[in-house]
This record gives sequence, structure tokens and C-alpha cells, in this order.
Amino acid sequence: MSEQQKTEVTVKPDLEFVKDVIASGGGDLKKCYQCSTCTVVCSVTPDDKPFPRKEMLYAQWGMKDKLISNPDIWLCHQCSDCTAYCPRGAKPGEVLGAVRKMAIQHYSAPSFLAKMVNDPKYLIVLLAFPAIIFLALLHYQGFLFGEIPRNEMGQIAFSKMFYPTYYIDPVFVPAALFAVISFIMGIKRYWADMARNHPLPAGSDTTSSLIETLKEIISHNNFKKCNVTKDRSTAHLLVFFSFIGLAITTSWAVFYLYILGRPSPYPLYDPMKIVGNVSAIGLLIGITLVTNNRMKNAIKAGKGSYYDWLFISVIYVIAVTGILAQLTRLADIAPVAYFIYFLHLVFVFFLFFYAPFSKMAHMVYRTTAMVFARQAKR
Amino acid sequence: MAEQAEGGLCRVVVVGGGFSGLTAAVDAAETGAEVVLIEKNPYLGGRVAQLNKYFPKMCPPMCGLEINFRRIKTNPLIKFYTTAEVESITGSEGDFTVNVMINPGFIKDNCVSCNACAEVCPVERANDFNFGMDKTKAVYLPYNQAMPFKYTIDSRVCKGASCAKCVEACKYNAIDLSMKPEKIAIKANSVILATGWNPYDATRMDNLNFGKVKNVITNMMMERLSSVTGPTCGQIKRPSDGKVVNKIAFVQCAGSRDENHLEFCSYICCMASLKQTQYIREQNPDSEVCIFYIDIRTPGKYEQFYWKVKEDPNVTFTKGKVAKIEQAQGSDDVVVEAEDMTTGEKKRTTVDMVVLATGMEPSGASTKVNGFNYTPEGFGSPDKGLFVAGCSKNPMDVSKSAQDATGAAMKAIKSGQRR
Repeated sequence: MSEQQKTEVTVKPDLEFVKDVIASGGGDLKKCYQCSTCTVVCSVTPDDKPFPRKEMLYAQWGMKDKLISNPDIWLCHQCSDCTAYCPRGAKPGEVLGAVRKMAIQHYSAPSFLAKMVNDPKYLIVLLAFPAIIFLALLHYQGFLFGEIPRNEMGQIAFSKMFYPTYYIDPVFVPAALFAVISFIMGIKRYWADMARNHPLPAGSDTTSSLIETLKEIISHNNFKKCNVTKDRSTAHLLVFFSFIGLAITTSWAVFYLYILGRPSPYPLYDPMKIVGNVSAIGLLIGITLVTNNRMKNAIKAGKGSYYDWLFISVIYVIAVTGILAQLTRLADIAPVAYFIYFLHLVFVFFLFFYAPFSKMAHMVYRTTAMVFARQAKR
Repeated sequence: MAEQAEGGLCRVVVVGGGFSGLTAAVDAAETGAEVVLIEKNPYLGGRVAQLNKYFPKMCPPMCGLEINFRRIKTNPLIKFYTTAEVESITGSEGDFTVNVMINPGFIKDNCVSCNACAEVCPVERANDFNFGMDKTKAVYLPYNQAMPFKYTIDSRVCKGASCAKCVEACKYNAIDLSMKPEKIAIKANSVILATGWNPYDATRMDNLNFGKVKNVITNMMMERLSSVTGPTCGQIKRPSDGKVVNKIAFVQCAGSRDENHLEFCSYICCMASLKQTQYIREQNPDSEVCIFYIDIRTPGKYEQFYWKVKEDPNVTFTKGKVAKIEQAQGSDDVVVEAEDMTTGEKKRTTVDMVVLATGMEPSGASTKVNGFNYTPEGFGSPDKGLFVAGCSKNPMDVSKSAQDATGAAMKAIKSGQRR
């Protein structure tokens, strides 16, 4: 760095950003006195320009641009080793969690949805949106105040609820498309910002970085290095693979319905049902472990924010309603089964449609940051 | 009052015979008060007796202690008890009763410290005066300039009457193994608490691995290791293999300014490490010293001492707290890990020995004197007729302790005279 560059460093504090970090779980941010215990006890930080000490300084000084376009905030798995050893109780793990949330909000469009997802007072509105869509469809089909639908064999059949099944697909397909487009726009902006602030070495290759990153995600090797919250990687792995299982199940069901023309329900011994049910149970166990770990570690790692708990709760409701819908269907408790299935659909819609704005987005932004960091030799 | 001060202005009980307690006792007595000094150790002098040198003058602490010892010996207004502990203080300002348990030292005052008893004693104990870095016999002289200058017996390890080899060996008939604990009640007009401090227990910082990784010591151990009366006769050699220490690291704020340990700054540790840097730099001209810190805190004129140490090219200062200490692979060397905040690099430094600049835990954190009030950290709080001096009130250095003790003595006399 030349002398001239050195003297030209100016800090423009973004005070609103500081207030946001404090309000989003980083409430003890200002207690940090820059001793760097955090970077030393962190098992997942690189040795060169380690985190989270520098991020604590950026956050205190309101240097928003330096923070949210920084791939390091996503290399952090919030092990909370830093938080447990912090001599000031500044909770660097929680601060980085808050910063990640704000990065998601910053990059995801449209921004009003990002604000709503992060504010408990809009929760009812956000839930009402899919609920109204599905109620309108039911009303259109005459099921809302009419006869409870059954298939030709007299069974409860969720496929009959929006018969023909194609009625729910015009809802979910655009919802998924909306999320995908929002994600693509967000990632493009994020990557451009990262590349501007941290130029990539010449000849670096995104494809090989992506492959390495996917290997890392599947193994959770870095996540496993956490000390204070050791069990979190196991819980996360279970949730992660259960989601993959459920994604496979969904594609399989699409194949049955659209290619083979076989509507649900399918018998329990059907391989697709087995994969689906195992994944559903895995998801329930995984998300229960996530919740337990959070409760258990609350003293050392912090309570977590609304943002964290909204995401956990939505997954919980999806897992529970999914399993209960099947059980009540098999028990032939018709009105209850349909009601639970309705709830299940509302929450699945919630998870997918609001994914670019909720903590679900960590999946995309973390992966992007990990690919970038690898490519930048971080 | 049943037991009015005999000839004195009033009677002051001083709890603790370290530098603050000694100063308070001597100053109160020389002003005309009658003083009873209670010390739990078998000797007077407290932590200062364990120090090698004072900062910033680098002079020997025994010098000042000896002056105070002499003032005590020659002043008929001062009475002191060693191996004694205050069990409770009752009453109110002007009329306290201090209940004291005097534990037996088993050695009478006619002991001449000839060492004949220790020569025949079959039992060894870890020498707590040297923080366990060497051993003494169960009958021992606390240190070579101890006041009172007599042997004492560690009743926790002594085999007692079943052994009694020392009793036979003593030509002066100075050993009485049948001594029993004795309770006394002392009337006092005011009381001064000067119970001092203990080095913070370094094993509680699990990431620093004290006691697990070899050659990690505390700053108080470094004082003993550098002292001619210490376990190595003042040669700074590391404990595991006796290798002369060439490269040493100081870890500042080891337990201080930390809400998980001591929330406050211990005030003396920066100066102590700078002082100890001088010990090794003077002893070994090739030695290298690495000091890891958050902030170097050298208040007031002490700043000049810091500047002087900074001029030494063999001393490096790294801004960044050490938060991990491990044994080097295949040797007794030690690896300390810290982020150098000026370069933003997490670095591992291999050294021969590490000194943890552990802080001052007020003695009230572990043992409270029944009758005094304490803050949550264990610092004593003054009350009517009850005064607190030195490090039992706030972390401070020796010269500030002396000033504080003089102030406490003056307040105790004023209160004792009911003014």
C-alpha cells in the first residue's frame, strides 16, 4: 500500500446499520474491546485476516459495505466458541449471525418482502397470503362448505382436494420460480460486490471451487470443527439430508403423477413412500435436535433471534403437519386430515416463496460465499 | 469498655500481615494506637515476601519489609499473632470483639532455626511459598528471612507424636507436638481488613492449558524462579527440564478484564511483565521476549518504564491476546497462538517458556472475614469502624498499598477515638 492510499482511508459510519445489527441479535456488539480472543479460539477461520475480530470492528463502526460483501461472514458456522470465550460478553457469533441476516435482506429483491419476513408483526400477513390462495381454490371447487372429497375407493385422497392435482401446481410452480429468480438476482449482485472488494486471482476456476464446496457441504467437515456447540453439525446434517430426501420424494411423485398418471395416495410399501417417510422422520428428529442444541447452548451462545426461530418453527410445522396428515388420512379422520394437509401446504408455500428472504437463503448465500472464498484462496 | 486500650489512643485490630497490614499496624502504633495484628500464615510479609524485585526501581522488596519488621519488633504498642485467623467480628464502631483462632505451629519462640529438626524429618511437602516448584520437609522455615524467624510444622502432612523425630533432634526443646488450637477474643475500637490477594487460579482458563502443557507458569511463579531465594537460586530455568530460558512469552490479561474470570483490570500485571522482562534480559543477553497484550497499561510515571523496555530490540510487543497454548510437537517447548492485530495474521509462536500474567483475586473471593461486607468480586467494603486497605479493597501496587494503609490507619484511629 502506498503512503497516499494509506492516508485516504475514510470511514463513513452507517449508523442505521449499527442499530440494525444491535436489534437483530447483536445487542452486545459495543462491548467488544478488540482483544482478538475470538479469532484465536475460532476453529474455522483462515490464519490470514482471520474473523470475527475484524468483523466486530466493522460492525461497531457501521462499515456495512465491508461486512455484507465479505465472504468471511458465511465461513462462520456460529460454533459460538468465540462467544463462549469472549471476555466481554460481546457475542461475536450472534453478531455475525445478525450480519448474515442483513446480507440476505440487502441482496434479496424485492426488499419490502425482506423487511416483512424479519418483522413479527407481518407474520400473519405472510401466512395469510398462501392461506387465501388455497382457500379460494377450495371454494372454487366447492369443497370449502361442501362434501368432503374421497377417491373412487372411498379413501381420503389429498390429490382430490385440488382435483385435478394440477390446481396446486399453478400455485407452487410460479412460487418456486419467483424464489429462484430472486435468488439469481441476489447472488449476481453479491458475487459482483465480493469480486470488487476482494479481486479474484487470475486464472481461478469457479467450477472446481463449486465441486470442492459441494464436497464440503455434503461432509460438513468444517462445521464439525466447532467445539462449544459440537452437536450442531450432526443435527444440521440430519436436516440437510432429510431435505434432500424430501426433494427426491417430490420429484418421484411428479414422475408418478405426470409420467405414469398415477395419482396419490400411494401404498406405504411403495419405495417413494419409504424414502418420503424416512426423510420426514429424519427432518422431525433433526429439527428437534437443532432446537434442543439451541436451548442447551443458550447461556454460552446466545438465545438466537426472531429470524432464527421463525425458520426453525416453519420447518417444525412442515415436518409435524406432513406426518400428521398421513397418519390422520390412514386413520380415516377426514375433516382433520384435510385441515392438517391444508396447514402443511400453507407452510410449505411459506418456506419456498419466502426462501430468498428468510434464513432458508443461507443455503444459497453460504454456498456462494464458500465457492468465492475457495476461488479467492481464502 | 472492659478492655480499654492500655496507654494507647485506642485499640486497632489489623487483619492480615502483608505489606498493607504491616504499614497500617506500624503507622497506627507510631501514631499512638495499640495494635493487634492477625496473620494466617506462619510469617509476616505476605505477597511482597515472595517478590524478587520492585518496579520501577528494581530494588529488593526485603529491604522495605525488614524496616517494617524492625519497627514492629521495637514498638511495645504492637502485638502480632501468626498462624491465626479471624473467625468473627461482633459489636459496633468503638466496641468490637474480634474472635481469633490461633492454630498451633508446634514450635516455641526459643527456636534458633538451626535446621536440625528438618534434617531428621522424614516427610516432604510441596513448598507453597515457591508455588510448589520445590519441596520442604514437614518442619520447615517458611523462607530465609521469615519474621518471626522460627520453624513451623505443616500439620496437614506431619505424622505427629507417632514420629516425633524432630522433638528428639531439637537441642533447645523448642518443639511441642501437643500444642492445641487456641481461641482468643480481642476487644477493639476499630478494625482494618488487609487480607490482600491470591493469584487467580490459572487452571480455570481451560484454553491456556496451565498445569497441562509443560513450562507454562504464572507471573508469581516467575518471581520465585528469578529470586536468589527461589527454587533455582535465581537462575531462570524452565521447570520441565531445567533448560536455560532463551525465548519467553508473556501472556497479558490472563484472567483479568474478563467477565468469565476477573471482570476488572488487575492493575499490576503489565508492569510486572515489563519488570520480569528485565529479569531475563539482564540474566541472558541473547534472550528474546515476546509480550502479547490487549493494551499495555502503565499508568502515570510508569509509562517511562514501558518506553525503556520498548527500546530493547530483543523485546517484541504483539497486540493480540493469546487465547490458545499448546505443547510443541516432540519437545517441551510451548506454542502460543494470537492474532497480530497490526498485520491481521493469526500466528503461532514457539517459545521455551510462557508466563501467564495472572491477575489479583481479592482474598475475599475465597475466604471472607465474618463481620465485613464484600462486593460480588470479593473486595471488602468499608463500614462504620471497619476499614479496608490495600489489595483487599482494590487491585494496586505496593507503593499504593502503603499509602492506602496509612490512610486506613488514620481513619481507624479517628473512628476508634469516637471522633
